[in-house]
Amino acid sequence: MAGVIPSYLDPTPWIPAARGASPADVRRALDSSQPGEADLAALLSTCAADCLEEMAGRARALTRRHFGQTLSLYIPLYLSDYCSGGCVYCGFAADRKQARHRLKPEEMIAELDAIKAMGFDEILLLTGERTSPEDLDYLNRAVQFAAQRFAAVTIEAFPMRAEEYRGLVQSGAMGVTVYQETYEPIQYEAMHRWGLKRDYANRIETPARALEGGMRTVGLGALLGLSDPLFDVISLFRHALYLRRRFWQSGVSISFPRVCSQEGGYHPPFPVNDRTLAQIIFAFRICMPDVPLVLSTREAPAFRDGMAGLGVNKMSIASRTTVGGYLTPVKSPDGQFHVNDDRDVATFCALLKGKGLEPVFKNWDKVYR
Amino acid sequence: MNVVQKLILGGREFESRLIMGTGKFASTEIMIDAIQASGTQLVTVALRRFNRERPSDDLLSPLVKLGITLIPNTSGARTAAEAVRAAMLGRELSGSSFVKVEIHPNPHHLMPDPIETYEASRELAKAGFVVLPYMSADPVLARRLEDAGCAAVMPLGSAIGTGNGLSTADMIKLIIADSGIPVIVDAGLRSPSEAASAMEMGCSAVLVNSAIAAAGHPADMAAAFATAVKAGLAARRAGIMSRSECAVATSPLTSFLTGA
Repeated sequence: MAGVIPSYLDPTPWIPAARGASPADVRRALDSSQPGEADLAALLSTCAADCLEEMAGRARALTRRHFGQTLSLYIPLYLSDYCSGGCVYCGFAADRKQARHRLKPEEMIAELDAIKAMGFDEILLLTGERTSPEDLDYLNRAVQFAAQRFAAVTIEAFPMRAEEYRGLVQSGAMGVTVYQETYEPIQYEAMHRWGLKRDYANRIETPARALEGGMRTVGLGALLGLSDPLFDVISLFRHALYLRRRFWQSGVSISFPRVCSQEGGYHPPFPVNDRTLAQIIFAFRICMPDVPLVLSTREAPAFRDGMAGLGVNKMSIASRTTVGGYLTPVKSPDGQFHVNDDRDVATFCALLKGKGLEPVFKNWDKVYR
Repeated sequence: MNVVQKLILGGREFESRLIMGTGKFASTEIMIDAIQASGTQLVTVALRRFNRERPSDDLLSPLVKLGITLIPNTSGARTAAEAVRAAMLGRELSGSSFVKVEIHPNPHHLMPDPIETYEASRELAKAGFVVLPYMSADPVLARRLEDAGCAAVMPLGSAIGTGNGLSTADMIKLIIADSGIPVIVDAGLRSPSEAASAMEMGCSAVLVNSAIAAAGHPADMAAAFATAVKAGLAARRAGIMSRSECAVATSPLTSFLTGA
């Protein structure tokens, strides 16, 4: 039986507004000094799509005000592609027939050193869903290795209990990224065919458990394309609001991963085009001016270059979505998702500087652990 | 001429009353140009932006080369203990015993935690730091921080980065009235005229970052702030006329009273 969206996340009251906002509603949202759900809904509407240029201008001004003329950079490292999950859209799903790999400690260290040599100081460590009780020890070890080398270590792994997150904080992790994938319960059930991840409520509550466990930041997101984007992004917005109220000393950031149709790959039922994705990001920046907004290398160079500083203030670059892959970079089709921006660090930084944005590699310090 | 107190911090006198922040600039070169245009002698820099391993990402070394006084800040700290650790490391790496205590546990609105700020400031003052705490515009807290040994207090004009100006002006006036140490407005200033107002009000200095970094021409804006700060200070020296509820005739109304 499908889960039920908690009332504090339910977007239903605002969906009609998002579908049928008038020009006056959009204007009110753009002029609001304290934008909330109704304003976000108006800015997500078809009517607001006609104001995309004005929204972009507002998003850029707010991004500059809160984050300056800078763009923070991070890099992901996939530790393992073993996974017990059955996510229909994922390249690591358990039923995909492919060779699996888990970095051995010496491989981890070599990969971390290779990434460090690229200049990064913030790293995101990723795994699949939990496959055995030893997975937590493995992750703790990886965090410890990473914490010896990087100022900021965050993780994107299987949902855990608060005590388990506390252990990872002690190992040196400061943040957790956990996407709900979709907030729409029926679609969620259809997309997650078996395993622990099928538990919709458990996943919804994971970011709160991470913060209870002492993590400083949580990264939220919906995998755009899996469900009606209006349902997903209004829920996502409410999730961020809820966590900010409940954990006043914690940071929330929001990512905008998008599943696109790929030849021979998964075809999302609710594809989101570039204009709509840009509108969603602008709407979030206008309604959450002080929240970091993140864009990964799922997106193509032209879109990322355009969005840098225009709402988005943090990006990954030079990413590999295969297990490891930094020591001896090879183009491989077997990653968790397809990397559409495969530029190297120097090329991307030159682009940012050309746009008047300072790339920032280190914006944290080990002393705060 | 009115006598205006000198700005003395850590036993050193500073001519410039404009302190600059170093975040949010589009490049290190633009930041350096702005600092030089401002004529500032004091800049604050976040410990978390020290990067010894990647010179192109490091804010500390280009500032050291300028030969001005550095105030490492503890931005990122959520507790007094974290701020104290960060201050110790900042002193070790920068060679400066100045510290701006910044403890804002909420990473979104960045308002300072008065309790943790007080604890960290007291401990750091005892450890010999020149302590400049970033604080809410609270006259009682300001006195407590002075008694704890701080070299100055840095009340916010409004929230960091908002550009809402001197929205706490009434409280800052109360702080100035009771303070035996310099009062430096930190955060919220948007335009040079607001910096001039702060100086006219009696502040010893102002700290500006976003308004300069986000300007179309940061170096020019830094120079404009420097001019405004000087003007505000000069106006205070010259003696600013008091406000009046009713009109005051320039020719005395009672000159006919000859005393006969």
